[in-house]
Amino acid sequence: MDRMKILLVDDEKEFVSTLAERLELRNMNVSIAMDGEAALVVVENDPPQIVVLDVMMPGLSGLEVLEKIKSMDSKIQVILLTGHGATKDGIRGMQLGAFDYLIKPIDIDELIEKLNEAAKSMP
Amino acid sequence: MNHLKRKEVAFLGKITAGITHEIKNVLAIIQESSGLMEDILDITEDGIFPHKDKFIKSLDRIRGQIQRGIDVTSRLNRFAHSSDHCPASLDLNEITEQMVLLASRFARLKNIVLESSPSDPPLIIKSDPVSLEMALFESIEILLNVMGSGGKITLSPRKIQDKCVLGIGYENNVLPEEDFMAKISSTERWTSLQKTMAFLGGTAKVFGLAPEILLYLPESIDD
Repeated sequence: MDRMKILLVDDEKEFVSTLAERLELRNMNVSIAMDGEAALVVVENDPPQIVVLDVMMPGLSGLEVLEKIKSMDSKIQVILLTGHGATKDGIRGMQLGAFDYLIKPIDIDELIEKLNEAAKSMP
Repeated sequence: MNHLKRKEVAFLGKITAGITHEIKNVLAIIQESSGLMEDILDITEDGIFPHKDKFIKSLDRIRGQIQRGIDVTSRLNRFAHSSDHCPASLDLNEITEQMVLLASRFARLKNIVLESSPSDPPLIIKSDPVSLEMALFESIEILLNVMGSGGKITLSPRKIQDKCVLGIGYENNVLPEEDFMAKISSTERWTSLQKTMAFLGGTAKVFGLAPEILLYLPESIDD
């Protein structure tokens, strides 16, 4: 079975790089981006199957990036990361086409479950 | 609350909410880093890594403390957002549960356990969240200051004769109502609580042999 191809997008470098290592240990193919613009470059050049995307980032917001990703390739699944008290962003994201959202700090098992569900539901 | 006070509260709320996000980011990084260590230990064969058991135990403790930090910052974040809307629709069970977590430390210093006893069904009122939280905290402080060490304070929203009431009761010793009233009525906090409750359109009373402060709240206040 092919390795799941994930793009992690978050402006917290230590968070995103450590999470990437953990997913790689679980046999996933992971790339990272520190902001929305960098994420869109990765999506353009080496499209992932699933993007895990922080909502609150400097520059383009997660919701803006989500809209752009969906307009570039609607098949890419997006899982949003929101903060507590920002669940309305998650709900808004799902209205814009996100697969689901998780509240930070995340539980790795919950993330993997969502990634598997998102991979299965890919058109 | 006058306009300036409201602005001050909103300012404090905004700054606090922003800081809780930062703390959560720190916790998220610690969580992932300790999680990575656990992952590596998991794939390391027994006997190769010296003191593996001790590391696992230590990482378990870190995980527990991260969760504790997440719970506290989540409550603090919600508390900081209290000033976002006023009046707001408030679930009294949620308010009491939140206050238990935020005020537990103050109770712990007197060896008192703070807990909530939710109402079923939940009571929803339209009120000023910050002032209501303040009234609840003032009530807890009154009990902490006039009662002895040890025992339990229970926050229990309920209906009494069709009125929404928040009960703040102390379960340890029995004290006649008059004696309890005599103890608290001269305190500044009691006067302050009366003012807060008047602002909320309600009243504070004491009740029963087991000391309990009852906050009578209107179901709705004007915008």
